[in-house]
Amino acid sequence: MRSVRALAVAVLCWLSAYDVSLAEQPKSGGILKMYHRDSPGSASIHEGASYSFNVPFMPVFNNLVIFNQHVAQNSVDTIVPELAESWAWSDDKKKLTFKLRNDVKWHDGKPFTSADVKCTFDLLMGKSQQKFRQNPRKSWYDQVNDVTINGDYEASFNLKRPQPALLSLLASGYSPIYPCHVSPAEMRTKPVGTGPFKFVEFKANESIKLTKNPDYFRKGLPYLDGIEFTIVTNRSTAILGFVSGKFDMTFPTEVSIPLLKDVKSQAPNAVCVVEPSNVSTNIIINSSAPPFDNLDIRRALALAIDRKAFISILFEGQADIGGTMQPAPAGLWAMPKEILETIPGYGPDVNANREHARKLMQKAGYGPDKHLQIKVSTRNIPIYRDPAIILIDQLKTIYIDAELDVVDTAQWFPKVARKDYSLGLNLTGNAVDEPDQSFYENYSCDSERNYTNYCNREIEKLFDQQSAETDADKRKKLVWEIDKKLQEDVARPIILHSRTGTCWQPYVKNVTVMSNSSYNGYRYEDVWMDK
Amino acid sequence: MAVINFDAELKRAGADATHGWRRLTFLAQRYLLGTIGLVIMVLFVAMALSADLISRYDPLAVDSAHRLAAPDALHWFGTDSFGRDVWSRIIHGARISLAVGLGSTALGASIGVIVGLASGYLSGWVDLLFQRITDILQSLPLLVLALVMTAALGPSLPNVIIAIAIPLIPTVARVIRANTLALRELPFVEAAKSIGMSEMRIAFRHVLPNTLAPLIVLATAQLGSTILTEASLSFLGLGIPEPYPSWGRMLSESAAEYVRVAPWLVIFPGIAISLAVFGTNLFGDALRDILDPRQRG
Amino acid sequence: MLAYIVRRLFLMLVTLFGISVIIFVLLRVVPGNIVDILFDAAGYVDPADKANLEKELGLSDPIVVQYLKWIGGLLHGDLGYSYVSEKPALQEILPRIPITAKLAGLALLFSASIGIPLGVLSAVHQGTRLDYALRVVSLSGLSLPSFWLGLLILMASVSMLGWMPIYNPNPQTWAEAFAIYCIPAMAVGFRSAALTMRITRSSMLEILRQDFIRTARAKGASEASVNYHHALKNAVLPVITVIGIEAAFLIGGLIVTETVFNIPGIARFLVEALRWRDYPIVQNLVMFIAVVVVVVNFAVDMLYAAIDPRIRFGD
Repeated sequence: MRSVRALAVAVLCWLSAYDVSLAEQPKSGGILKMYHRDSPGSASIHEGASYSFNVPFMPVFNNLVIFNQHVAQNSVDTIVPELAESWAWSDDKKKLTFKLRNDVKWHDGKPFTSADVKCTFDLLMGKSQQKFRQNPRKSWYDQVNDVTINGDYEASFNLKRPQPALLSLLASGYSPIYPCHVSPAEMRTKPVGTGPFKFVEFKANESIKLTKNPDYFRKGLPYLDGIEFTIVTNRSTAILGFVSGKFDMTFPTEVSIPLLKDVKSQAPNAVCVVEPSNVSTNIIINSSAPPFDNLDIRRALALAIDRKAFISILFEGQADIGGTMQPAPAGLWAMPKEILETIPGYGPDVNANREHARKLMQKAGYGPDKHLQIKVSTRNIPIYRDPAIILIDQLKTIYIDAELDVVDTAQWFPKVARKDYSLGLNLTGNAVDEPDQSFYENYSCDSERNYTNYCNREIEKLFDQQSAETDADKRKKLVWEIDKKLQEDVARPIILHSRTGTCWQPYVKNVTVMSNSSYNGYRYEDVWMDK
Repeated sequence: MAVINFDAELKRAGADATHGWRRLTFLAQRYLLGTIGLVIMVLFVAMALSADLISRYDPLAVDSAHRLAAPDALHWFGTDSFGRDVWSRIIHGARISLAVGLGSTALGASIGVIVGLASGYLSGWVDLLFQRITDILQSLPLLVLALVMTAALGPSLPNVIIAIAIPLIPTVARVIRANTLALRELPFVEAAKSIGMSEMRIAFRHVLPNTLAPLIVLATAQLGSTILTEASLSFLGLGIPEPYPSWGRMLSESAAEYVRVAPWLVIFPGIAISLAVFGTNLFGDALRDILDPRQRG
Repeated sequence: MLAYIVRRLFLMLVTLFGISVIIFVLLRVVPGNIVDILFDAAGYVDPADKANLEKELGLSDPIVVQYLKWIGGLLHGDLGYSYVSEKPALQEILPRIPITAKLAGLALLFSASIGIPLGVLSAVHQGTRLDYALRVVSLSGLSLPSFWLGLLILMASVSMLGWMPIYNPNPQTWAEAFAIYCIPAMAVGFRSAALTMRITRSSMLEILRQDFIRTARAKGASEASVNYHHALKNAVLPVITVIGIEAAFLIGGLIVTETVFNIPGIARFLVEALRWRDYPIVQNLVMFIAVVVVVVNFAVDMLYAAIDPRIRFGD
């Protein structure tokens, strides 16, 4: 018996080895044509907060370290060196030192040195003379005292307290190294990097073109001669373009589940993968004004949500239920199901939940004869608007008559900042599947991206505690506890975590779509086309 | 004036057709296409008025169990991606599309007539001023004005009506003015002037009726095109906002996503729009034949 | 006549001045500006950063100062910089003009070459089956939403030909170059053709009933000569007005069509720039479109004078 199993394993190994040897040698050449879903505001990744920046511009840059581009699930164990040859933590875990490569040149020919690393992070921490116009991820480096250099090829991050998560943040597509000698303003229009592709041009609302960097420090790479993005904002047109063969690849993680069906029927040879995107659809609540300053009404709201209905309507069943952190198995930090189901509103019996919700509403003075009138505000974009329509329908079951209030993008943030809303339908994307990123960014009292100004000093202490915890298991337990508390507090009820599709023509090889982030997998140095 | 015209027609056709039912059937036969158009319009108006009675479901009710259902006995026109009943939404949508169509055409045409008539007939500084205003309005593309205005005012039904009506003004005004200019030189106006009729009287008694034909052609063409403009605005995400079931929004990009899986989502609102517009156009054509005063001669 | 032309040219300047004021004020009445959008894209708002950026872009100046800066620059040929791309606005606008111009020209050509002959045919054969058929066709042409038509064309060509006429800056074949311009132009020109046909027909009918036509007939002129020489020449007057007006309306149709076919012309660019509140682009683009429309209208009025001797100028 045992020998049979061993044989089977051997055969399997042989088969997979055979597969690998059968797989053709990568071919060089060709321009990868992709459509882009919208026109990013600039070419500067550090000044953007959407993967509309990362997809076209990540190929232009390198990081110190990067998540292995061919492992779908990003974690601290999949981090590999890039501009750094190696890294090391000091014994007190408060200093992270990188040894840098000495054979790297910027696209304009100047050599890359440790000074560029220092410049980049000084800019991000707001310590340099020059400033970014916008600096959305400043808070990522709150625990960094300063960056010091030792010679041209060594740089160290000196921390205020241990923060194991820092390495993961540095490995995100959001953390490219910028050159000292190019101003932030130039980086917005003509970015200079060290990466496998050089920036050629960016015509707003039209196209973005990249060309092969022949002096890339990884010899023989990239395989592609270039990448061209055509900006197509109309989704149906974009998909028709892909189906008709105009594009080699869709914009990553942008094909919705219903459209995916269409692609498969129209282009049966296309390769499509569906992965979680680590974007949550959630409700932001104005808890500083009536009626949602009343915890009972907030709880009733949490109990009224039928998450399965949202998922079946919007994702034809293909989305996940969870708390703040991305659900398992793709997510690394998700609460186990046993804990999740104890949270109000997550129990499987929707009717019982709503019965309970109605009691809470009655306690607050509402009932079948006295409905609560509110507005649900959201952006005038289908992925925001559509869930809001469902939410409004579900609120009817607990004596709430809600009206949809669609807000122009230009007015959305000012409106939320003014607290001129009661409920808002919101999407939150997480660049790294990492509690430090989600908790601090979205729930910390002082965070610029905490739109609701939710502030709970006790939970804040737990944020710091988990962040400094170097024991992985202990940290995970703390994270679960925090996530559960956030949900019970009805801080920002999470409706679902979405999944999306990415498709490419069968001749496009070596593309890996990340399963717990939509921001990190676009270096494309070893993507090639069998044409 | 129209009555006189009918009578003249009827007398020519035979004396026994001057009363009651016979008269109606005669007209219906004489203007068959127009009658069809009228019937279509009446049906749509009736649909809009009785929407609450004849719709089978709440047009906003979400039903996850019956999403993207094909047309059947339960849902005549199928359901959309939220499980909302398309038939009920189209019926309620008739209200919005007709309100936008009629409202903005009436508003735009009446302002346009006043501007065009004053401009063409009175000449002088009035013409100069109105011409400058129409020039300015006309040099701003319709959708740009509509877009900026809906953004400034906020996307609501009255604002969309205003936003669509304003670009109509110069179109109407220019045609009316051009016609008035030509008419001013015609003998019958000169004659009226020579017997001492006041300018205002001439403008409203003689010039205005004679500009009605092109006005009706234009206004009915515009009635349809306003409905279509609202659809375009919705397609660009700027029309009547959700959750109102306007036909334009039903046809917009999110519906286009499902075009293969659920073609009825695109077919039925498309038919509703086209049919309504078609009806107004047929009717307008017939009306034009009837109302044209020069046909009497 | 010369005095009239000079006066018209002066009035054109007045119109353009009016437009510049209106669009400038309208844009600033719209809530939210580029800074709001940039911070929205960045996902956070920092009041100090926001104030700095507004100052940098000159948005904190009084509105009159902003207007004078714009017009002053415009007179020197300086259109300012796009807020979004930070490139000179002229550099962003210029390359997109020929694309839209080609589309609009083709659409107008399509509209006139289909609409006028069919309209005349319909009027000459008034009351016949041909007339009925043509009228029904033109009416259905007016009844189809043009973006819907565009989408249907795209879907049909993908499912039947496995190919689609989506824009490509460097068409590979002559056929592709033809398809990427002509198909969208037809989608947008279809409605104009129907409208042109209707107007041609109705003005033809009107003219055919007028005294001078009867006189011509009575004098024994041939039917063809009456229809095509006397009547068409006079009927063309309102048709020209409509085609002139359509030049402006086409921009509207083009916005939608350029979106559906993903054509990077100025019409779609305008909508995108408006969405971004990119004032320098929007203001200058609107001014450009306004100049085109004003010039077209001027040309239409000149044609009026040339064709219809009944109109006297300058009284």
